[in-house]
Amino acid sequence: MNADERDLLEGLRALSSDGPHQAPAYVEERLLTEFRRRSRLHRARVWISAASIGAVAATIAVLLWIGPLASRYARSPADAPAMTEETAGFYPLPDAEALPPVESAMVVRVQMPMASLELIGFPINQDRASDRVEAEVLLGQDGLARGVRLIE
Amino acid sequence: MFQLRSATAVALLMGGAAFAQPVIRTMGMPPGGFGGPGDFAMVRPEFGMPGKVVTGAPYSAQAVTQFAQTLADGNHIQRTTTASVARDSLGRTRTERSVGAIGPLAGSGGAAKAVFINDPVGGMSYMLDAASHTVRQIPAKAKWDRQVVESGAQVKTESAGAMVKQRARANLKTDDLGTQVIDGLAVQGKRITRTIPAAQAGSERDIEVVTETWTSPELQMVVMSKTSDPRFGDSVYKLTNISRAEPDPALFAVPSDYQVQQGRPGAPAQ
Repeated sequence: MNADERDLLEGLRALSSDGPHQAPAYVEERLLTEFRRRSRLHRARVWISAASIGAVAATIAVLLWIGPLASRYARSPADAPAMTEETAGFYPLPDAEALPPVESAMVVRVQMPMASLELIGFPINQDRASDRVEAEVLLGQDGLARGVRLIE
Repeated sequence: MFQLRSATAVALLMGGAAFAQPVIRTMGMPPGGFGGPGDFAMVRPEFGMPGKVVTGAPYSAQAVTQFAQTLADGNHIQRTTTASVARDSLGRTRTERSVGAIGPLAGSGGAAKAVFINDPVGGMSYMLDAASHTVRQIPAKAKWDRQVVESGAQVKTESAGAMVKQRARANLKTDDLGTQVIDGLAVQGKRITRTIPAAQAGSERDIEVVTETWTSPELQMVVMSKTSDPRFGDSVYKLTNISRAEPDPALFAVPSDYQVQQGRPGAPAQ
């Protein structure tokens, strides 16, 4: 420590011994007020963060719950028949529109000339009336055809 | 086997211009040949779709369907198909149908026989092909019931299905026909009259399509139905010789001399 440094140290000691040993009351009060304010802000931020995380989690949960329901109702039979591999692709025959509801069904595979499609309600190109096609026919409990799907 | 099941193909069928680009592979003669003049030849039974499971209401009966149509030139078409149907107390069902006719279509050669057994107890359904003595064993899927019952027939394109349903719902009138007894069973009747406006049908007058349905609450099934459609003819379906006795359990079992195949034809084995 050189002479200048020693002088500065002694000056600071003298200064400290002259002043009050505790901060003035108004300083303490302002410090406490500021501390309480910051503390409230901190607690609020914690609560807001927690609430935000909770809200996001709840939203995800609701979406996960509603999603399948929404898609199920969107494809309900009343609006559009649900599809399965077994029943998809059957085109409803025009003459089946008025038949009683199907209680049970049987699917058979047949070969037929296109002219036969005309007999069950489809308009066809007469030039190809004698061509044969293979098709699956959906029969109701009464043996009457409700739908047909062509096989290629 | 590659299969393209496409309503698009049918849609193309319905558009004459679309035939410029044919998408349907035409077939040669079926394996057994067309045994005579006919509108179709049976290849094989594929699979069945059971109705709702009803327990504690056994029956057996003959189901007779008569179809009649008068063509524009005055010619008449008449077809009759029969089936043997049975259900035991456990809810197992059996339908044995001769596929000699499909509505107005006549089969060529002898009537092929298809037997469909649904066993909700064992969780399996079986489609028996009497010609080849093979049986397809398929896990029963309860989902089929509701879909088929509610929609009548499944369609490929949802928009087309919705259109058909909207048209079908339009101009409907339902009459309660009360009750009567058919073959010893009390049945409740309902008549649905659907009027197709002339403008929609392109006809001179409105077209009325009438469907009568007689349902047995006891058996929970249709016992008789009649449909009269001036465009496509008349059909009558009726259960006859109804017996309420417990059917022979052997009816719901696969004969031992049948070769069992798993899964639906053309689909991966399940």
